Amino acid sequence: MAAKTTMRTSALGARAAGYLFIVPPVIYLGVFMFWPLARQMWMSLTNTTLARPNDGVFVGLANYARLLETPAFYASLRITVVYASLAVLLGVTLGVVSALAINRPFRGRAVVRGILLFGWAVPNVAAALIWLWMFNERSGVFNKMLLGMGFSRLRWLTSIDWSLPSILIVTVWQVAPFVMLVTLAALQSVPEEVREAARVDGADPLNVFRNVTWPHILPSVQLAALLVAVWSIRRFDIIYLLTGGGPLGSTSTLVVKIRQTAFEAHELGIASAYGAVGLLLALLVAGIHNLVDRRRMRWVAER
Amino acid sequence: MPELVLDTVAKTFGDTQVIRSLSATVEDGEFLVLLGPSGCGKSTLLRMIAGLTEITAGEIRFDGKRANDWSPRERDVAFVFQSYALYPHMTVRGNIAFPLVMDAFRPWHHLPLVNGWMRRRRMKDPAIAARTDAIARQLELDPLIDRRPAGLSGGQRQRVALARALIRDPSIYLLDEPLSNLDARLRMQMRAEISSLHHKVGKTFVYVTHDQVEAMTMATRIIVLDKGEVQQIGTPDEIYHAPANTFVARFVGSPSMNLLTVDGEGAQLRISPSLSFAHGEAAPRAGRLVFGIRPEKLELRPPGEGPLPAEVVVVESLGAEIVVGCRLQAGGTRDHLIDHDLVFVRRPGNERPALGSPCSLSFAAGDVVWFDAVTGLRLKP
Repeated sequence: MAAKTTMRTSALGARAAGYLFIVPPVIYLGVFMFWPLARQMWMSLTNTTLARPNDGVFVGLANYARLLETPAFYASLRITVVYASLAVLLGVTLGVVSALAINRPFRGRAVVRGILLFGWAVPNVAAALIWLWMFNERSGVFNKMLLGMGFSRLRWLTSIDWSLPSILIVTVWQVAPFVMLVTLAALQSVPEEVREAARVDGADPLNVFRNVTWPHILPSVQLAALLVAVWSIRRFDIIYLLTGGGPLGSTSTLVVKIRQTAFEAHELGIASAYGAVGLLLALLVAGIHNLVDRRRMRWVAER
Repeated sequence: MPELVLDTVAKTFGDTQVIRSLSATVEDGEFLVLLGPSGCGKSTLLRMIAGLTEITAGEIRFDGKRANDWSPRERDVAFVFQSYALYPHMTVRGNIAFPLVMDAFRPWHHLPLVNGWMRRRRMKDPAIAARTDAIARQLELDPLIDRRPAGLSGGQRQRVALARALIRDPSIYLLDEPLSNLDARLRMQMRAEISSLHHKVGKTFVYVTHDQVEAMTMATRIIVLDKGEVQQIGTPDEIYHAPANTFVARFVGSPSMNLLTVDGEGAQLRISPSLSFAHGEAAPRAGRLVFGIRPEKLELRPPGEGPLPAEVVVVESLGAEIVVGCRLQAGGTRDHLIDHDLVFVRRPGNERPALGSPCSLSFAAGDVVWFDAVTGLRLKP
């Protein structure tokens, strides 16, 4: 009986210890994440301005109604979606292809891997400045190359047609190495015996890839894609430094738009509404990932 | 496929020589076991036969044709891996049918969209489905056909791996320690199943193992390997009763053959200065020799009755039989125990002699196997 009581207390203690351990992160996240988030959500329902940040009056969904009437909002939403999807598509494809290329042993592999990882290692601001220089219309290396090949100069960052592609080039340059790194790690854990079994079973190299390698690295690639998508939705530094959202709003994603509305138009309420839409978008992506993941994981749990 | 010939085959990885010039012929329909301790090159040899590892020197001939550069598919082999190597994302059906699906594959099926469509068509193909079902039923996998490998036990996975090997009806089955991940009971059961499978399909099996019991029970012929060199090729009986050298004598049999280094002087054999014993017949030659005898050929007797005085040190009862480990004694007193490997005696029944009790060992002269003390080779009688 006594032993039973002790056991029960210790079980209780173990459970309490569990909660105790998650208290610090919960406090941290609560203070620095959930509280600001809740405040922002509340702000999106008020007419707060930058001049009087604490005197907002509750206006219901008026801010959202205004958003839905603004063409610039739809443009911004469209740019965000296009930018994020292309960043995922190109970044992940390039990352996976380079991981596959670099996974085979060859002379100078370490050097090539170092070079390929460079984009990921450079801090965003430094990267943006480097690219700003290269994209420069007069003295940039790209236009020099174009001229050298007999083409005319391109207005990389200052034309409506080229600003988004230019930013995508920088984004992919930064994101692909990360995808490559994740994929490379997954590739190194592909069981060699299963690959050999497929060879014995008569699979050609492409079929070995399709039936053994690809299913094995898919979860990692998918996770990398999710991260790239979320990062792209909230990317600010590169876009802001390269184009500032221009020209004519052609690279103005939701995040850039938030800054504009909050600190140039001083409308914190509307900026918060933009933020809420961005959050919704990120949640949507995470939800899709979760759904796909769960469908794929079903076979692991299957008994 | 009547014949597989290995002609002075060698393999080196960098500076390490794994297999030094190995020659052997595998007859049609035989169950050949490659037996040896870990690191002896037996798995490498099997992988070379399969075409998974390149051959450094020498030649492999399938049916008289040089096959060094053939792909595994061209060799028409099936390979069962130690880890089973199942495709984790495919169902049991998908795993078993995979070789047939690959057979039906044409290069243009790689085109996007065509690929998925063709695969679905292949899986529905009545011929493939019928064959898959038949093999699954043969190995009692039909209730598991829609499960995935993660949901199967070790023995069931092993069966799926066998089914995948069976489905294409290859000319040679290559098995790389397929039972080493199973528990003892299941291993015995699968051993019997693989043996009966061999009888049923009547094809050549090449089976790699470090377990001499597996080798003895399943093989029609055994190749004993050590350090990349063939030690002996023979039937299980030959390997057991007439080991070619002391390595084979020690490796095969449990407990292994008792080996004593002796100096022969006619019919008198001296183990140490103070211990010599009478051997029924004259030793094959004078001088240093290794005297070998199987544990079941030794007889445990009361002290003084046998030629070898000893003391009981270890007793292991296995139920139906008993293994007694003895230490030889010099000069008839306990102070003069000779310090060397224990001499093991195996006998039926479960009568346990007391530990520490004195005894003596006797044997029939005809059961002794002689080896050269320097080269370790068996001396022909």
